[in-house]
Amino acid sequence: MKKLFIRFTVTVFAMLIPAAAVCSDKVFVYNWTEYIPDAVLQQFTEETGIKVIYTTYESNEAMYAKLKLMDGTGYDVVFPSTYYVNKMAKEGLLQVVDHELIPNINGLDALLLDKDYDPDNTYSIPYMWGSTGIAVNSELIPIEKVTSWKDLWNEEYRGQLLLHDDLREVFHIALSIKGYSSNTRNPKEIEEAYLLLKELMPNVLLFNSDSPRMPYLAGEATIGMIWNGEAYMAQEENPAIAYVYPTEGANFWVDSFVIPKGAKNIENAHKFINFMLRPDIAQACVESVGYATPVLTALPLLDEQLRNNPILFPSRAAIEAGEFQTDVGEALPVYQKFWEKLRSGN
Amino acid sequence: MKPSSRITIITLLGFWLTIFGGLPLLLLLVTSFLGQHPEKFFELNFSLESYRQLLDSSYLDILLRSIKQAVITTLLCLVISYPFVWLTARMNKRNRNIVLILVMIPFWTNSLIRTYAVRIIIGTNGLLNKMLLGLGLIDSPLRLMYSETAVVIGLIYLMLPFMILPLYANLEKFDYRLVEAARDLGAGNTQIFLRIALPLTLPGIIGGSIMVFVPTMGLFYVASLLGGGKNLLVGNLIHQNFLVSQNWPLGAAMSTALILMLLSMLLAYTFILRKMKSREVAG
Repeated sequence: MKKLFIRFTVTVFAMLIPAAAVCSDKVFVYNWTEYIPDAVLQQFTEETGIKVIYTTYESNEAMYAKLKLMDGTGYDVVFPSTYYVNKMAKEGLLQVVDHELIPNINGLDALLLDKDYDPDNTYSIPYMWGSTGIAVNSELIPIEKVTSWKDLWNEEYRGQLLLHDDLREVFHIALSIKGYSSNTRNPKEIEEAYLLLKELMPNVLLFNSDSPRMPYLAGEATIGMIWNGEAYMAQEENPAIAYVYPTEGANFWVDSFVIPKGAKNIENAHKFINFMLRPDIAQACVESVGYATPVLTALPLLDEQLRNNPILFPSRAAIEAGEFQTDVGEALPVYQKFWEKLRSGN
Repeated sequence: MKPSSRITIITLLGFWLTIFGGLPLLLLLVTSFLGQHPEKFFELNFSLESYRQLLDSSYLDILLRSIKQAVITTLLCLVISYPFVWLTARMNKRNRNIVLILVMIPFWTNSLIRTYAVRIIIGTNGLLNKMLLGLGLIDSPLRLMYSETAVVIGLIYLMLPFMILPLYANLEKFDYRLVEAARDLGAGNTQIFLRIALPLTLPGIIGGSIMVFVPTMGLFYVASLLGGGKNLLVGNLIHQNFLVSQNWPLGAAMSTALILMLLSMLLAYTFILRKMKSREVAG
């Protein structure tokens, strides 16, 4: 109990610090861990004279809780994933992004713009995108045996599976096998998906989403979910770890730049976003973090091997088979209820 | 000490306790009676909804599982510590201090880091498996990670000193001549243990058990790091409601219920202790 209180006090103080410092030549960036190389941030400061105050988070939930508590103040640029953009926009936590201040927006892939979660990109500009598919340790499981999400239910994989600790992504698997949208709000469909997932539980070894590649590399998990960028990084250490786009469709997501409602350095935030979308900067980011960039003009700069790597850049067919996440609004508690039931073995 | 400085100290302590102990507890209690809202952390109206939800059968299952795991951890800690402490208390003073310092040293490292260390030792490609494979004792690595066994191993490792120290404080005062006297009078080992050692060390056993049991219920990160997050415990549920689902009233209600449960255990402990003391005096 005491631990929880300490955590809260620390969080509260941590939140007060950025809010207190308001200065015109700064930009407060709040991002996922390991998501922008340090060199890129330094280059931004060298070119513009704007100092980057950089803070990180591990989950959308943590980021959302912090911004919600502070009513959208304290940070100038934040990187929520797909469905969190429309959740936050709907709740009035974001401000409209001025496209005129971001000329590099013209280099972006039209396929990733104007999505359901933010029509016309009023509140968000895509930073990176990726997918959640299947990881297989091909030393232990023949890769041809794994083509679809359904294959995870195979009894041979008892106690070997890794699932992400993310309820939307896990429900995506069962919903897409059932042929439903992974953004469904229909409680009956969610319940059917839960019943299917319940049958998967004996196969599950662990839930992890801070660095899902680790249990594969440590030899604990042999098959399961993974983000494509994590799979790319895992292959650098162990080439036997393969990435499969399941036939029912992978789960696609986009992490976007947004400007919170209470941001103090709005002009600098736009400058920062524009800088990040420059082809040479986008190239540096892809090479370092292993996710795909929506900046089309950066693609010719990439090493040919990287550009043709299907883990990072899936085929059009794989993209069309997959689905992008959107907010499920009032259905979220329904998902949560079944998620807790699933996790507590009921 | 002058009475005025004593008053200052008491006032300061009172302040400290109110700000860092009482106030957060009060906030927790108030939050647990607020209404739930899907888009906010809570709604400002009085509601018993969260406490009603606590009675949901799946939460009771989680509570029972947490209690089961805490009981197993406590019993194993006790079984491991008792002979250890018994032998330590018989040592000469120098050796005794060395042993106690060795028990304390791991305390200096953060418990989260020690949990990661357990992971490195019992992992499929971990030290333990490498050693056993190297010695030829097993043919294929033991798969210990991400199971209830792994969680219990981790919990015992973290909680062992909490059992050893109260037991030691009690056994140190134990008069070994009683054992000798009993033996002279023809008592066997079992009889000595059951009729002399056990009753006299009971306060230490109960004290140590509570010191282990209470924190074990809340150590959510051990279950997530070593158990793979498969079987949620009460601590995980509270963590999830505050930081993931943003359902503060429910999380606060769970915390309040847990605190009440543990508080009643402590009260029962002091009650038993007092009863034993008065019996001692009477006897």
